[in-house]
Amino acid sequence: MNRAHYRYFLVFTLPALAVYVVFAALPLVNSIWYSLYDTDSGVARFVGLENYVYLFTNPTTSERFWNALTNNLEFFAIHLVVEVPLGLLLAALLTSGRLRRSTGLYRTLLFIPTTLSVVIVGFVWRLIINPLWGLVDFPLLGDERTALPTISLMSVWQYVGIPMIFLYAALLAVPNDVLEAARVEGSGAWSTFWRVKFPLIAPQFGLIAILTYIWTFNGFDLVFALNGSAPGPNYSTDILGTLFYRTFFGSSGQLSDLDLGATVASVIFLIILVVTAAYFGLLHRRLRSYEL
Amino acid sequence: MHAIRASVALVAAAAAVLTAACAPSATPVTTGGSAAPAAAGEKTVLTLGSWRTEDLAMWEDEILPAFEKSHPDIDVKFAATNTNEYNAAIQSQVDGGTGPDLITCRPYDVNRSWIKKGYFEKLDGKPMLEAFEPLALDPWSDDAGSRYCLPTAAVLAGFYYNKDIFAELGLQVPTTQDEFLAVLKKIKDNGKYTPLAVGSSESWQLAYNGLYSIGPVYWKGEEGRQGLIKGTKKVTDPDFQKAFDAFAAWKPYLPKGFESLKYPDMTQLFTLGKAAILPDGSWNINQVAVDGLNVGVFGPPTDVPGGDRYLQEMPDMAIGISAASKNKAAAEEFLAWTATPEFLELYVNKLPGFFSMAKQPVTYTNPLAQAFADLKNGAKLTPRLGLDRLSAGTPPFDDEVWRVLQLMLNEDLSTQKATEELQKGLASWYTPQQ
Repeated sequence: MNRAHYRYFLVFTLPALAVYVVFAALPLVNSIWYSLYDTDSGVARFVGLENYVYLFTNPTTSERFWNALTNNLEFFAIHLVVEVPLGLLLAALLTSGRLRRSTGLYRTLLFIPTTLSVVIVGFVWRLIINPLWGLVDFPLLGDERTALPTISLMSVWQYVGIPMIFLYAALLAVPNDVLEAARVEGSGAWSTFWRVKFPLIAPQFGLIAILTYIWTFNGFDLVFALNGSAPGPNYSTDILGTLFYRTFFGSSGQLSDLDLGATVASVIFLIILVVTAAYFGLLHRRLRSYEL
Repeated sequence: MHAIRASVALVAAAAAVLTAACAPSATPVTTGGSAAPAAAGEKTVLTLGSWRTEDLAMWEDEILPAFEKSHPDIDVKFAATNTNEYNAAIQSQVDGGTGPDLITCRPYDVNRSWIKKGYFEKLDGKPMLEAFEPLALDPWSDDAGSRYCLPTAAVLAGFYYNKDIFAELGLQVPTTQDEFLAVLKKIKDNGKYTPLAVGSSESWQLAYNGLYSIGPVYWKGEEGRQGLIKGTKKVTDPDFQKAFDAFAAWKPYLPKGFESLKYPDMTQLFTLGKAAILPDGSWNINQVAVDGLNVGVFGPPTDVPGGDRYLQEMPDMAIGISAASKNKAAAEEFLAWTATPEFLELYVNKLPGFFSMAKQPVTYTNPLAQAFADLKNGAKLTPRLGLDRLSAGTPPFDDEVWRVLQLMLNEDLSTQKATEELQKGLASWYTPQQ
């Protein structure tokens, strides 16, 4: 490859890069920058890490933060344990050949909820489980113990199509001759899947797991649509996204605090960055991808 | 979070673009103000920032044309931001020098912080202030008593009731707390209707339509509220405990699964004729009467027969002149117009459920709105307990009230524990309570 080629590369990536820098990278840097200032008095004053110290030492803000983080971990865990394996199962069924001609129909049906607006998903599910007009007698969303799992499962219902379609594409890419060889060697469907197909799609499986982590820690919309910015009962469905929103924009009884909001945002960014970096640095490279 | 961050950036960008787009289209700034007659075709353009996006059509089609008819040299643009993002949007706009000429003012602490940041032009000594009682102006004043915004509207809270159900069961409108509980018990014993259409999923309305409505009679309205603000009273005092007890007494009369019922569910339960009483705010007037339901309204019950009546009147919005505006004279002209009966009558009748705060009485064309307004006669008015000063720190008192009220209904948290928690939270940062 000569120098001219590199110049083309640069020219072609520049528009995307510019958009990315202006709308993603700069605001990110800017918000980290904000978190080091105090603007409450009207004049920006550099305070170093004071906002972070306040966030973690004030009894109320730190309690809300740890509560949101714990809830967010639970939110993620439910997605990881239910959504990702379910997506794998559905993808395996879709590629198993047992559905014959209806594969396309199922694929479409299972993917449709993903394309719906969260407001609709939240509204429909809220009606379905409404104790007055719905099917369930128990106030699932009104009980501290069941509220977060309920919301998580709504989100799983909505987004299961994403890991499914992702792993489905990966499974389709597994070459037929490998599978035929396995069959000739006398391998059944179960062992073919776990010993031949799954190792081949392991990198994609790992990727979807880490993407689920990123999505759930960036999560906000469904909780906000269902429970607003002070998600109850007793903050039991408060996740980092809603905590940020409440801090940054304020609520009816809470002043909007731009600096502290930026601080929360930066902490969320850090939480995502560290785990994602650790995953790619330590784990992902160990998942061998086979050249076929 | 990226989505949020991106949307923040977008809002800011959109705001910047909007104001940038407005500036060149506006004719040169009339430095002498519009008091000097502008040349034909030359108009001063004012922007009015607001959080009520839903009112855009009303302002553009009804109110602003009425103003522009008598003030042909001023062109007012209604620039609304989403309610939830309004505070942050105004702050970033004003700090960035692109704020509107006229800013709609949030009551109490938010506005106090804006006053401190120097967002507003002082209104002291202006004749337009004389249309209002001091109590109406206080929510938008600084600690020294200087005025910065002119009140536009307040909301009230009370109890809607289904007149047909009351007639069917032979019930009288209750005036005392004992009568109120007796009515609830009768409806429950009859078994056909839910006595109170209340759900606890949205905790804000437990405070705004519940405790802050029935409580003032026990803490004696302004006396108790100012006592908390000055630090002479505590939330754990018997007066406040009695109010929390009165709220807890509602629990047996709530619908099944109330823990997960939202505000629209409550309204629906009432409008479908399945519940007899709905504790609610005046802003819901249109919704409760939408199905042609035979609805009446009564105020919070008194403590003893013939005792003082109290009513929650919550200042909702006011308008102030931005200190950074280049068209202050025109802005002042507009503001003075919002104190006239012409504006107020237009406004409150286009938006039933909102009430004028001016001294001069206003006629309401909506009968339910008029019934609500009549409740003000002879009643001691008081705003929501938790929003003035007590929520300007962490934890905000108001948010904590929402939370403990929800726990009182959902998990039987006792009045004792609830008030102790509130007092502890308040004492952790609010100096007068320390």
